[in-house]
Amino acid sequence: MRNQHDFLQGIMTVEAEGTLIEPFLQACTRHGCHISNLKRVDNNKVVFTIRLKDWAILRRLRKKYRCRLSIKDGKGIPFIFQHLLKRVSLLVAFLAAVAVIFLLANTLWSIKVEGLTPELEADVESKLNSYGVSPGKLTIGMKDPNEIQQNLLDDIPDLLWIGVKKQGTSYHLYGVEKTRYDTDVNDRPSNLVAAKKGMVVETFIKKGRPVVSVHDVVKKGQVLATGQLVEEGESFVHSEGEVIAETWYRVEQTLPMKQVLILTDGTMEKEYQIQVGKVHFPVWGWWRAEEEGVREEQHDSKWSVFGVQSPVYMKTVNYYSIDPKAYESSKKEIKELGLTSARNSLIQELDQEAEIKEEKVLHLDEENGKVKLILLYKVYENIAETKYFSQGD
Amino acid sequence: MSKWQQQIRAWIGRYFDLPSDVMLDLPRITTIGSIHVYIENHTGLLHFSDTEVRIQYKKGQVRILGKDLGVKMMLKEELLLEGELKSVEFFPDSKGGST
Repeated sequence: MRNQHDFLQGIMTVEAEGTLIEPFLQACTRHGCHISNLKRVDNNKVVFTIRLKDWAILRRLRKKYRCRLSIKDGKGIPFIFQHLLKRVSLLVAFLAAVAVIFLLANTLWSIKVEGLTPELEADVESKLNSYGVSPGKLTIGMKDPNEIQQNLLDDIPDLLWIGVKKQGTSYHLYGVEKTRYDTDVNDRPSNLVAAKKGMVVETFIKKGRPVVSVHDVVKKGQVLATGQLVEEGESFVHSEGEVIAETWYRVEQTLPMKQVLILTDGTMEKEYQIQVGKVHFPVWGWWRAEEEGVREEQHDSKWSVFGVQSPVYMKTVNYYSIDPKAYESSKKEIKELGLTSARNSLIQELDQEAEIKEEKVLHLDEENGKVKLILLYKVYENIAETKYFSQGD
Repeated sequence: MSKWQQQIRAWIGRYFDLPSDVMLDLPRITTIGSIHVYIENHTGLLHFSDTEVRIQYKKGQVRILGKDLGVKMMLKEELLLEGELKSVEFFPDSKGGST
């Protein structure tokens, strides 16, 4: 306990030199010094430890006893503090660190918007930006979340509600969009006609009178359902509905049996260039540019400082050594390849709801190193297309 | 006068059974084995070195001999020595100890 007390107050190791050391020490203790760890170093030199506050007494008495004092060491809080004060750079760095931490902790790092469509989200973000709420800005002096919430609701009419919550260094926004029901009902009288040739598989007519039934084969443009509710009648409606029909697709493909693939074997050489405007200077590896049988890939590392792009940047060119290889595939492999590629391209072309029902190879032939492949696909898809009655009718 | 006072003090000390160091202004020297010496009621440190420490008290001197002696703590009337003790010798003034 006493040691800790001394540590707080500071203790120092002092060396005293002189002929009257013992009387000097005696006088010091008489004035209230606590001397400890006294050791004789020399005939007229001793080392001892005193408390920091006793130093004044020692200094007062040293003239009288003709002692020369020198401080060897200081321990304790006052010395540590003094030491720190001496190192101004350390102190400055400490203060700077505190300031930086404070700034970083008060910077808005991210804004998260949830529950909204991307368009509305972008709208909310741009509005936030106009209020001065964007990542990288200081939250000090920023508007209160409640105020932001109110402003957003006022400025964006499509928002039903938005919750703004500040979580540490980020803003969380939970939005609810107003759902708008399309009130302008299309009631222009119309027919449903076939968009393409096919065999009707299923009909679902919401409005209108169906004129085709299942297993009927329809041509392109043929009426599937009419808006004329009664034959020869006067009431016309806007017909709506789905007609799923079986349609057919013919795919013809000619595939070469020999393919030359260019492969890289993993060895890569790099060339570095510095680009200034339109001029570039080679830095390293420029001698490789002349080599044959390599594939080049360029990467620009653009440096931007606070959104301004620096005109100087590093350009890296990777040279991959390539190895052309010819592959000869069998007829069967080519067929597989053709089937999958045809199927994939067909899926891309069709509606999302369309379904490929059947796949048939009509023709597979090999001639002059090429495979000719003819495929037939059976697809179930919606062929109904709205066609308005012309004004003249 | 002081002789007479001295006798009175000794008599009071004996009569009331008081500790003699208080009554007679003598140092109380406590040793812990031969490693520590605790001296109370002394009046001054006369000499101090690795092998010898001499202490003044009211009526004489104490000489402590030893090896690697050091003062662990020194207060106004207390002294704690540590080291390897050899002997503690007394030189009362009446027998002509030097000052």
